[in-house]
Amino acid sequence: MRALLLTVGELWYAVDMAVTREVVVAPRISPLVTAPRAVLGLLNLRGDVVPVFDAGALLGVGGRGFAPFVVVVDVGGAAAGLAVGAAPETVVLGDLRGRSDLPGTVGAFAVTGARPGSAAAAVRVAVRVDPRVLLSADRAAG
Amino acid sequence: MAVTGHEEGFRRLYAQEAETRLGRMTEHLLQLEAGGFDAAAVDTLFREAHTLKGGAGVVGFSDVAGVTHALEGVLERMREGAVALGSDLVDTLLDATDGLRELIAVSLDGGEAVGRADMLITALRRAAGVQAGTEEPAGSGAALPERTVASPPYEPPDVGPTRTASSGDGAVQAGDGAGQARDTIRVGVERLDDLVRLVAEAASAQLRFGRALSERLGIDPQVFDEFRQLSTVLADLQNKAMRARMVPVSGITAPLHRAVRDAARALGREVVWDVRGADTELDRGVLEQLADPLLHLLRTAVAHGLEPPTERLAAGKPAAGSVRVSAMQLGSEVVFVVSDDGRGIDAEAVRRRAADQGVDVSGVDDAEALSLVFTSGLSTAPEVTDLAGRGVGLDVVRATLERVRGRVEVSSQRGVGTEFRLVVPITLAVLRCLFVAAGGQRFALPLQTVVTALPPPGGSPPGGEGGGRPVVWLGQRPVPVSGLADTLSEGNARWSGDGPVVVVGGTARLHGFRVDALLGQRDVVVKGLGPLLPHLEVVAGASVEPDGSVVLVLDPPGLIARARRPRPARAVPARAAPGPREGDGAPTSRRPRQRARILVVDDSLAVREMQRSILQRAGYEVGTAANGDEAMADLVEAGADLVLTDVEMPRLDGFALIEQIRAQPALAGLPVVILTSHGRAEDRRRGLLAGANAYVVKSVFDAAALLSIVDGLLERAP
Repeated sequence: MRALLLTVGELWYAVDMAVTREVVVAPRISPLVTAPRAVLGLLNLRGDVVPVFDAGALLGVGGRGFAPFVVVVDVGGAAAGLAVGAAPETVVLGDLRGRSDLPGTVGAFAVTGARPGSAAAAVRVAVRVDPRVLLSADRAAG
Repeated sequence: MAVTGHEEGFRRLYAQEAETRLGRMTEHLLQLEAGGFDAAAVDTLFREAHTLKGGAGVVGFSDVAGVTHALEGVLERMREGAVALGSDLVDTLLDATDGLRELIAVSLDGGEAVGRADMLITALRRAAGVQAGTEEPAGSGAALPERTVASPPYEPPDVGPTRTASSGDGAVQAGDGAGQARDTIRVGVERLDDLVRLVAEAASAQLRFGRALSERLGIDPQVFDEFRQLSTVLADLQNKAMRARMVPVSGITAPLHRAVRDAARALGREVVWDVRGADTELDRGVLEQLADPLLHLLRTAVAHGLEPPTERLAAGKPAAGSVRVSAMQLGSEVVFVVSDDGRGIDAEAVRRRAADQGVDVSGVDDAEALSLVFTSGLSTAPEVTDLAGRGVGLDVVRATLERVRGRVEVSSQRGVGTEFRLVVPITLAVLRCLFVAAGGQRFALPLQTVVTALPPPGGSPPGGEGGGRPVVWLGQRPVPVSGLADTLSEGNARWSGDGPVVVVGGTARLHGFRVDALLGQRDVVVKGLGPLLPHLEVVAGASVEPDGSVVLVLDPPGLIARARRPRPARAVPARAAPGPREGDGAPTSRRPRQRARILVVDDSLAVREMQRSILQRAGYEVGTAANGDEAMADLVEAGADLVLTDVEMPRLDGFALIEQIRAQPALAGLPVVILTSHGRAEDRRRGLLAGANAYVVKSVFDAAALLSIVDGLLERAP
């Protein structure tokens, strides 16, 4: 499965490329007052207003509070932004390597292909995220 | 039998047409009942029924065809004069229109309402005087009307839940003319919604494009003729697109009339029904939302407002009570007034009920007490009926109004009557907003909910009552104030800044919010925040600004609720707020000496209503007069603390009115403000020479300026 590899905290996470719309670099995010902590704000995406969530806060691994990159994903026809700390990378997910108990995730998978800039084909493992579960109303409400 | 997609389309089209025709029939029946027999109206009813019958046959709705055939029979007998018009007959005919709606809905779903059509037909035949088992009317050799008029071909429907748009500029009312049908096409509402949204997006994108040209390339877009032309065309297009989505208020008056009539029949009341401004247009979505609140207010007016005829006669009133709905456009708002001349609301009883429910009513005056009727569960009706009295209606009315970013107000006088005023925006697609800055962020407040903006009252927080929450004074009414940034924060922000106070809300709940600055007014396209975010009570939506940023459109009812909710971490202002100071001249810190009465004189009902609304919300008692003569009579009878008058009026104009006031020793010192469209220097000079204390030109008029002038004059008045 083709996926977008996201760096959140110290770990890698992967989002199915099929639900990924685009990546916005250095987005201008307007604060959303009274919103839960996991909501960073609102992004103007060519005239559409898109809520941006702190991926780390949603995953429970610590929020960053800012968004150098926003991955825009499709959740049941609605767009949402996931703020991540490093430039996402396109990868292919291989075998299931283990389970993941983190909220909104569906297991740990092997990442095939070399890491850019890496001489050796080191094996990487990424936790696959299901945006639909991760951004469910209960979780987004914090 | 299987129905093809094509046939299904025709059936739906027929159902839409039938809804319109049945609505018109209801209206005609109610007019007949109120005004007596009218051959032309019966002919119209007959044509409507006949067309319905023809269409029902074509689309295969046999039950509907059968009932409309029987309906024709009654109408034919009415035309012949063989059946007398009366309320019982109107009951039967109205039941038939209700039944036809049900039958059409059931037929559309492919179902069958067992026995319903037979019951209706039997009732109609009985009304027509047809004996059971025969087609002949009793005591008559006349045939039933099936062959009176040839079965008409199926006509395309003219209007229904969708909007009929004409090739011209304005909207087209539903009509029968074949010529009109050639000039109109039916357009689905969702297409119009898309059109309005896309046009607004295009206008917004053009603004952003201009901004980008300016900021990135240093080019002023306004130097290009093409850019300016595009701006003009887009503005025109936006206006026309929005108008295409608007419908006249008359679209909902028939069911309202029907509800009033049925309630009156059920309760033994006599009612004179009056509708004014039915051609006022507003957004279809807003009007649909208003139908239920209006229905509830009208039923309440009949059930609890109007006295029984004997009681009215004993009180010196006509036996028949008046129930009126009027609609008028005031700028970007439409004001609906639902009024009756019944017994009025007992403010003291409201206070008692509210106190029983634990509401603190100490210091609550009558106007504030009346606004408590919008509190959930509070009813002052002596008994619960099917129509009203459970205390679960007016709070829903208020909630519905807040959903469409409107507000509701009530005023009432014991023994004279009650008036509910519903103020809604003309459209929700584009919202006129006041932009403010607070806490380093820009926000938009829907202008419908902004009562006024007051200048900074001074360096310290405005006067607090008893050392509690700071307040500003609107007329005689203390309005609590919070910092907007403080309200929107998680509770640790402090009272800060010396910016203006924006007062938002309706009569029920006014609240002031201190902001850093007022940034101006502008139309915005409000976008929802989508399904992924939880509901945020203070946010109504968001809008994309010309600079590409996103600005939040705040929801004042939610904002007020949040500001008034105790928050544990909330900081108390640095020191207790001082009480109002005498003589500092700032209207926001002045405690009114008494409830002042202002007489508004203008021959335009709309202007009178707007001024009354502004002044009443500011806590003043307001009287109105349509010309100088009426004003003088009112002044002699009721007196006033200030007169606000137009110049151009029939009978006695504004200048002459001022001269008469100044000629009366008892009135010579009365402050008079001229509010006129005459802005020329010589007009202004003439007004001031005539004795006016202030001269305000309507084109530059705003509520805050008016209140500032009124407050100032009353402060200085002897």
